[in-house]
Amino acid sequence: MVNIVLKESRLLNLLGLEEKELNDVLFNLKSEVEKRGEDELEIEINSDRLDMLSPEGIKRAVDGILGRKLGEAKYEVVPTNYQLIIDDVESRPYALAAVVYDVKLDDDRIKELIQFQEKLHCTIGRKRKKVAIGIHDLDKIDGKVIRYSKVPLDYRFIPLNSDKEMSISAVISSTEQGKLYGNISIKDNYSPAILQEDGQVLSIPPVINSNKTKIDSSTKNLFIDVTGTNFDAVAQTLDLLVSNFAEGGSKIGTVKVSRYASSSPLLIHNKLVVKTSDINKRLGLSLSTEEIAKYVRMMRMDANINGDEVEVIVPQYRIDIMTYVDVAEDVAMAYGYKSFSLPQYTSKGIGELLPITRLERAFRDLAIGGGFQEIFTFVLNKSSYLLYNDFVKIQNPITVEYDAVRNSLIWNMLKFLAKNQHARFPIKVFEVGDVVVKSEESDTGYKNDARACLAIMNSRVSYEELQSVVHQILYNLKGKEPRYARQDKDYFIKGRSAKIMFDNNVVGEIGEISPQVLEKFNIENPVVIAEIYLEKLCE
Amino acid sequence: MLSENEIKIIDFLKKKDNKSAYSTELSSIIPETAVFSLAYLLKDKGYVNVKEEEKEDIILTKEGEERLKEGLPEDNLMNFLKGESKKIQEIAKSFKDFNIALSWAKKKGLVKVDKGEIIPLKSSYISPEYIVLKKISSSQDLSEEDKKYLKELENRGLIEIKKNKVLLLTLLKEPEIRPAITYLTPELLRNKEWTKYELKEYNVEALPPFIPLGKKHYFKEFLEHVKDVMVSLGFKEVKSDFVEMEFYNFDMLFQAQDHPAREIHDSFKVDGKGELSNQSLVKRVKEVHEKWWKYNWNQEVAKSLVLRSQTTATTARVLSTSPNKEIKVFTIGKVFRPDAIDATHLIEFHQLDGLVIEENFNFRELLSTLRAIFSGIGIKEVKFKPAYFPFTEPSVEVYGYIQGLGWVEMAGAGLLRPEVTEPAGVTMPAGAWGLGLDRLAMLFLGIKDIRDLYSDDIEYLRNRKVEY
Repeated sequence: MVNIVLKESRLLNLLGLEEKELNDVLFNLKSEVEKRGEDELEIEINSDRLDMLSPEGIKRAVDGILGRKLGEAKYEVVPTNYQLIIDDVESRPYALAAVVYDVKLDDDRIKELIQFQEKLHCTIGRKRKKVAIGIHDLDKIDGKVIRYSKVPLDYRFIPLNSDKEMSISAVISSTEQGKLYGNISIKDNYSPAILQEDGQVLSIPPVINSNKTKIDSSTKNLFIDVTGTNFDAVAQTLDLLVSNFAEGGSKIGTVKVSRYASSSPLLIHNKLVVKTSDINKRLGLSLSTEEIAKYVRMMRMDANINGDEVEVIVPQYRIDIMTYVDVAEDVAMAYGYKSFSLPQYTSKGIGELLPITRLERAFRDLAIGGGFQEIFTFVLNKSSYLLYNDFVKIQNPITVEYDAVRNSLIWNMLKFLAKNQHARFPIKVFEVGDVVVKSEESDTGYKNDARACLAIMNSRVSYEELQSVVHQILYNLKGKEPRYARQDKDYFIKGRSAKIMFDNNVVGEIGEISPQVLEKFNIENPVVIAEIYLEKLCE
Repeated sequence: MLSENEIKIIDFLKKKDNKSAYSTELSSIIPETAVFSLAYLLKDKGYVNVKEEEKEDIILTKEGEERLKEGLPEDNLMNFLKGESKKIQEIAKSFKDFNIALSWAKKKGLVKVDKGEIIPLKSSYISPEYIVLKKISSSQDLSEEDKKYLKELENRGLIEIKKNKVLLLTLLKEPEIRPAITYLTPELLRNKEWTKYELKEYNVEALPPFIPLGKKHYFKEFLEHVKDVMVSLGFKEVKSDFVEMEFYNFDMLFQAQDHPAREIHDSFKVDGKGELSNQSLVKRVKEVHEKWWKYNWNQEVAKSLVLRSQTTATTARVLSTSPNKEIKVFTIGKVFRPDAIDATHLIEFHQLDGLVIEENFNFRELLSTLRAIFSGIGIKEVKFKPAYFPFTEPSVEVYGYIQGLGWVEMAGAGLLRPEVTEPAGVTMPAGAWGLGLDRLAMLFLGIKDIRDLYSDDIEYLRNRKVEY
């Protein structure tokens, strides 16, 4: 999801819509509108529809779905004498460029353009790692030959919004953009650079442009460079940019490119042949081939009918259309999700709960019968509370309070009891839930283990008081009596804890918590706890 | 209604001739400490008249006890003389307390002394003081005559006179009474003794003492309810583990390895690597990624461990078994995502994911299924919005109408892309959806702070009204 902020009055005027109509139309184009400031709208664009990140892109899509303009938007493309020479830049090998004539830039449009550029940087550009964009005032560039090359870090230029010439290393260490993006493409003390024929820097991708070619409200023509680590992404980004300028009335100029193509932008058009039956089968509709073609055109793509097939021409700005299923979605959108008449749901097949779920439910009922209040705690816990060492530690925790995955419910229980020492006594609580333990059988090395935990905290507690409840619960679940084998564990008081067993299987443990552990959890009342391994009971 | 002790008092008074008794007397049948309060209770109920009196209590001193045993010295002297005169010197040697005896005998005019001899004026003598002393020790009533000697006995240090407040109870009316008891007992019932007693009344309007009640957790119950809804719609439950390989959490779901959701800020990483044993599945997943996303798919990245960030990982696990028959499964479980923790955000929450693989499944069927699920949960009105997820096409977001809130986004769904199903060997169409349950539970349970779904305050849990 990508959010853009646009001036409301300009957008409504551009689209020729009332505010309410805008909401409805954009809803059907995967977007949501929220009013922000006095004359501002925040629009949520889905991350597949990068073509809609500018007002012109939104207009193109809206025109289609409202039936005002159908089929591909055709833009004027003229050849130019500009040339992009591409050298070996290992850290960022791909570059393409384009020229745009007759742009109209006022302050609002410059804001929109910068926003469009930034959103592309974040999405398809993967925070400029994959793709970076440089937009220049064409008329401030000297000469027609532009070079994409690499330059040493002591190479100097005046970065955007500065009046001081500095070295690339200085730009990287002292400017905001330098700090954010400086280390992405520096390799062996060289930085990628877009240069004029005379060697003057126009930009150092993916960091910053030069101040020399800064755009302002008087800018009439643009030079756009796009660099990156993935050719398709570079080509698509440039296509998206020039298309949206062209939708606003500008003219696209092609630049001769030395390496991967004869010229750019590539204005990539893909052809997809979709079968009417495939579309209908996927959507559950019975549309005619003509209807499908109509809906395709409403999504601003060209469509040619050939028998019961539709040839879809995917224009450069619809980079999200890959296969027939993407076409199917566009057809569904143009048809209208709300136009689907929905059959009454009829259940085929028998539903079923997992055995462990049924056991958990039975266990909960019995614990309730024993007078225990159910609690529900977090799976994540503080690692210093988890007293065994086989727990899963999170590499990138948000807070130390939740930096590990619980490996027993006992610690969660103690944490809960610690918080409730001033509540009305006695505290009798239980929890049913999963913990994560190491497992050699699992392909991840870990597995979930369903467990239950019961505890009593009071001014005086006894092993027997809890044991009697646990005993009845287990007896009722298994139809036979468990037995208890003395065990010594350091978190229980010596001689006051036992393993709970059926035959020779340990299905849990019970005991009075040792004073040392109570202290660790800041508990000032005695506690008796039992943990039951539900998965073992389920076997 | 009279208590057992009250009845005892009335019985005691009844037996007395003048129907009166002092509180001191009653202490023989009732603990003394209780007598005063019972007396006034009976007075309030109108059964007795109570008069406060000062009563003198006469008790023998230690010396008094001794004299009672041995006799008063002057009496003993007179008995010793037996009416005959004797020389003082002679007597003084063998007679105990001689000086005291002589002095009292002289004072009372029982003897006279002449020329070193004591001459008795009476042949025998028992002093009236002694008789009084004897009466006091046996608690006999003293006559007016007797009382004249008290002062003297006190002066001689033989008795102590204490003034006490006592109550004089006089029976005014006899109640028609049965003793009251608090508890019925098996004995009372068995031998019909209960008929003799009144059962004491309680203050039935008082609030009771606290007892902890066993109660299910509201949020857990909500989750179980949703499970029941899914079962009722013909879905079978499945589950998978919290620790998951990126392969199932992302790669199988056609999420490119440089997808933003896979960045360090968007999922919790766990040490270690998993094992991908189905290499033909791995190979096919690699192929679709490289074909469409145009990058070198890295198996090591796919083997990295995360805490699952979506229960769609469970759906991917089901797909990875290459089910070649129609299935309908669901899972409800925890997912984990790094986020700031506040009233509306937690780093772990619940999702419901569902998967349908059916020969004739399509988008329309999917929408109808979603509508049925929401209807089951209690959201009667839904609307569908086109959406984007990497692994579904067409994709849809489901909005539900909530009274007072309007349209709320509730689920993401879609038909799985062939790029997801085909590598798994699934040839039939498949629909899938994911639904966040915590927010929905908040709406249904009227909870404003998401942390209250997992409250660690037992009083909050105890005091919460049960949903039904």
